[in-house]
Amino acid sequence: MKINRLSQLKIFSAFFVAALSGGVACASDPGVTDTEIVIGLHAPLSGPLAAFGQDPLQAAKMWYEDVNRRGGIHGRKIRVIAEDDKCNANEVGALARKFVTVDKVFMINGGSCTASVVGAQEFVNREKVPFVMLNASGDPAVFPATRYVFGAFPGSQGAIGAGIMGFAVQGLKGKRIAYIAHNDEYGASNYGAAKAYADKAGAQIVAYERIALSITDVTAPMLNVRASNPDVIISAAYPAPAVLIAQKAAEYGMKQPLVQAIQGIPAPEVFAKNVGNNDALKNFYYSAPVNDLPDGPKQIKWLEMYKKAYPDRLVPSVFMVYGISSAMVVTTALEKAGKNLTRERFVDALETVKLDSGIMAAPFEFGKGRRDALRAQSIFKFDGVKSTLMPGFYTWDGSTTSPK
Amino acid sequence: MSSMALYQSIASGIVSGCVYALVALSVVLIFKASDVVNFAGGEFVMLGAYAGLGALTFLEVPYGLAYVIAALALFFIGATFNKVVLDSVLKRAKHGQRTLVAMVIATLGLSYVIKGGVRLFSFTEEVRRLPSAFSGPPIFIGPVVLQWQDIAIVSISLALMLALYIFFQKTLTGKVLRATSQNPRAAALIGIPVQLMQLYSWGLACAIAGVSGVLIGAKLPISPDFGGPIMLLAFAAAIIGGFTSLPGVVIGGILLGIIQNLVGITISSTAIAVTPFVVIMLVLVFRPQGLLGGRHRIKKV
Repeated sequence: MKINRLSQLKIFSAFFVAALSGGVACASDPGVTDTEIVIGLHAPLSGPLAAFGQDPLQAAKMWYEDVNRRGGIHGRKIRVIAEDDKCNANEVGALARKFVTVDKVFMINGGSCTASVVGAQEFVNREKVPFVMLNASGDPAVFPATRYVFGAFPGSQGAIGAGIMGFAVQGLKGKRIAYIAHNDEYGASNYGAAKAYADKAGAQIVAYERIALSITDVTAPMLNVRASNPDVIISAAYPAPAVLIAQKAAEYGMKQPLVQAIQGIPAPEVFAKNVGNNDALKNFYYSAPVNDLPDGPKQIKWLEMYKKAYPDRLVPSVFMVYGISSAMVVTTALEKAGKNLTRERFVDALETVKLDSGIMAAPFEFGKGRRDALRAQSIFKFDGVKSTLMPGFYTWDGSTTSPK
Repeated sequence: MSSMALYQSIASGIVSGCVYALVALSVVLIFKASDVVNFAGGEFVMLGAYAGLGALTFLEVPYGLAYVIAALALFFIGATFNKVVLDSVLKRAKHGQRTLVAMVIATLGLSYVIKGGVRLFSFTEEVRRLPSAFSGPPIFIGPVVLQWQDIAIVSISLALMLALYIFFQKTLTGKVLRATSQNPRAAALIGIPVQLMQLYSWGLACAIAGVSGVLIGAKLPISPDFGGPIMLLAFAAAIIGGFTSLPGVVIGGILLGIIQNLVGITISSTAIAVTPFVVIMLVLVFRPQGLLGGRHRIKKV
């Protein structure tokens, strides 16, 4: 059969139009078909850091299943392949390779620990696979920004440092601030942003105590803090040193407000029990990236949803809602990317996301050179029994005095 | 630096030093009895703290009984480890083969087993602290502030040190244990049940670690990783004082605690973490046997 030139043109045009409308293009990237989008989901599900990942991963799955129940995204259902990364950088790197080469996923949504998510960074950027962190703050993976890696849904250490400094300066009207942080990269990051904030606000950091993670006696740093006569004491320490700091401040009769960053107080009631003296918490505040208490009016909806989905986890960790937030951003960007879904379109869509999740302290936002989602913290006053949300939230403008 | 800060640093340093000494006492006890450096010493203390916390929280026993439960539980674990693992290492060794390295590595393995085992309990996901048995308003000695728990730690570590010193120097069992350590073959030849003696010393050392854990756990927040860092400080205390000297361990611990605090207030808080290692190096260079370690002796391991 002979096909004349006009017919050839018609056939070619038909293929071209079909390709544009998605019939052929959707097959161009792995993990996307007419009916489904495959997402590789990972978090620590075993090992010492499993508590960071179990609830966020289940919460993300719950969100994806909820989206599927509502009809999916542009007619496609989300299929999740979930794996355990043990919060180990090597494991995360190996999982990223497995997801991309064996499971042929469209994108990866995972990681609960900063140190581990960097394990996938080089690979996903080279393979041009979108990687959206689950609940890791992930500072080294989002600063400097790389095209395919997005994260910091609970806020980076910069956001935390600036958030607590913002409250000390604006909320508590402090002019002389004492800052205690760990002598690691986390500590340097949060201090850098806090210092930049203080400099702009005209406050002075009168003591900067850098302590080891394993410190067992905070006498010396607290004596240095006391000698500096601050208006407000800020602690960005982890749980065990945070307890020692609160105890020692009370023991030395320091009446100044003590503002503790979220990493030191994952469970306020346990913290109070560890401090062992509620008088030590008379003037105590802590930061958190969420907009309310877990059973507060803004959060109860998510807690109830989770409890319904997982009746065996009636008291999830505080990290649970971070998993919903991350998955919510993924589905928002998938919607925005349109029916002709490709990885590049998805990344472009992520860059334009501005989403008020109704979960976190402030809306999420990415940009051309911005990969950290949340730049704000809420502050709670805690008297050892009850937490009370302070009005407003405290934002970071991205400034830092650290080399990064 | 004000004199007030100086006095407070010294007083708190003594308390912290006694914490290190409490951990080190059990390590030194095992070393004196079996020549084995027990790298799981910190984990035994951590386990003791959790045993005490569990007894107080879940069994709701009186505080005194929590000490007993922790001591008995740890005695059993230590003695079992000695019987099941270390004895097997000894029995499997060929004639003339040195087993010390294998035994030391077995303790290292045990430290990971204990940490992993403790993590299986979701209760350990959060940092915890035991309620204080010695509560009350702080004590003011001039400008120095101390807690009752601090006084208890200092008193108990000094008492333990003294009791163990008397035990090893004055009692027949103590002398038998020392003889077992110094020359097991000669000890066996004169009829000492060497393996039984080593089992006792492991059990006793671990029981002391258990009691120390309950005591320290009321001062420091505990987690499954609590043992490692404190073990390093205990090693430093033992090296400074002399690895075979029980009074030396306490003096080494106290010196280390004071030096750390003085470094913290005169140089910087960051320097506190490296202080033990600098002190260890200085001691190894200038007085390898430690302050009270007796004559310098070289032993091939």
